[in-house]
Amino acid sequence: MHIPDGFLSTNTWVATWVFSAGGLGFCIKKTKEILKDKMVPLMGVMSAFIFAAQMLNFPVIGGTSGHLLGGVLAAALLGPWAGAIVIACVLAVQCLIFQDGGLTALGANIFNMSIIGTIGGYFVYRLIAKAVGGDKGVMAGVAIAAWLSVVIASSACAIELALSGTSPLQVALPAMAGVHALIGIGEAIISCLVIGFVIKARPDLVYNYEEE
Amino acid sequence: MHHFYIDEYSELKSPLHRFDPRVKIITFFSFILFVIFTSPHSYFTFLLYGCVLCALIGLSRIPWRFVLVHSLVIIPFVLMVAVFIPFLKKGQIAGAYSFGSINLTITYDGIAVFWNILVKSYLSIVCVILMMASTKFTHFLRALENMRIPNIFTMILSFMYRYVFVIADELMEMRQAKEARSIGGTKWFHTKVLANMLGVLFIRAYEKGESVYLAMCARGFQGAIKTIDRLKISGFDIMFSCIIFAVLISIKIFAG
Repeated sequence: MHIPDGFLSTNTWVATWVFSAGGLGFCIKKTKEILKDKMVPLMGVMSAFIFAAQMLNFPVIGGTSGHLLGGVLAAALLGPWAGAIVIACVLAVQCLIFQDGGLTALGANIFNMSIIGTIGGYFVYRLIAKAVGGDKGVMAGVAIAAWLSVVIASSACAIELALSGTSPLQVALPAMAGVHALIGIGEAIISCLVIGFVIKARPDLVYNYEEE
Repeated sequence: MHHFYIDEYSELKSPLHRFDPRVKIITFFSFILFVIFTSPHSYFTFLLYGCVLCALIGLSRIPWRFVLVHSLVIIPFVLMVAVFIPFLKKGQIAGAYSFGSINLTITYDGIAVFWNILVKSYLSIVCVILMMASTKFTHFLRALENMRIPNIFTMILSFMYRYVFVIADELMEMRQAKEARSIGGTKWFHTKVLANMLGVLFIRAYEKGESVYLAMCARGFQGAIKTIDRLKISGFDIMFSCIIFAVLISIKIFAG
């Protein structure tokens, strides 16, 4: 899902860069209010954690394997703003070190996975967690939000490709959303199990958990 | 534990490695812009850009194999998104094939779009590989900081660079321990164990982050990292950058 350079038209990549930069600026402001100068070391180590977690492959249907994206997981554990920063840092490192996603397309990739996927996913998760209530609500919320965030982020990617004239929407959208609807199942299961474990082991580390 | 390397070839000696990271970032980013603003039909221009990149790889002494292997990362995305394009664009038909009941038509417009994104994404990826492989990651971050990228990002990235190996190491150890002990069992069982591993890893990482912070506080950390290592732009940097820009601009002017 990491868009390389050359796939997006200038309008698209410049616009998504502007949106992402603005969104991340807001996230930094919010996170600084909560964490103060603890923010840098904690966010750095958390980015390293998400990065390491993404290296772990798990089997998806039909012999293929997928890896965790971790957007909703990061948001559920650290809160939406800190989660978005962590995912953005991971995407930046993937772009720079592993060339997974292009430099000009980095704005679009951050927009899809960090702004829409992570922050959007977090609010879906809260909504479901509130509606269902209890630990079950948290786990169900994380599972559904994780699946949705993967599908929505890949749909946003398809829409950006269509806006750039790279591939027609009626093909790109079902293809991207369809493939990621499968990948999202793994994401949902793993995210849900991890959050279930952390709730049992260290509930104080789950963002906003005590309020329930 | 066996690891990937972040800046494996950054210690080599070459003009590209001596290049000041700030000037290098600007030069290579401009190179990418030159590439993506080239009209898809100027095949000769792309060839010349490719030659310039090959010359730079040769100059940098970074192994060709390394560049080649790393540049293959774009393949999955190209396969998933781009390979259908020649069949889907409407326009003048270049060829039609039928496999049983499926009729495929390839159009010239489709091929043009496919070629356009393929060549541009490939040249851009080689640019990024060259830029990153010839720079130490810490120098790269320092350069970003000097270029007014909010230092909160560069600081987070520098912490990430320091701790990613530590945490990846812990994960690999846990996985090795699991693989050594758990034989058989259903897929669901293994998935659950995997998830618990990630949960443990999260808690350990969080606690590590907190203790790192306390250690930093004890040593006088007040929200900003100060270093005495300064970057300096020399005449060599300006000259080297000017040469690359001159080549790019003349390619743009003469080859279109």
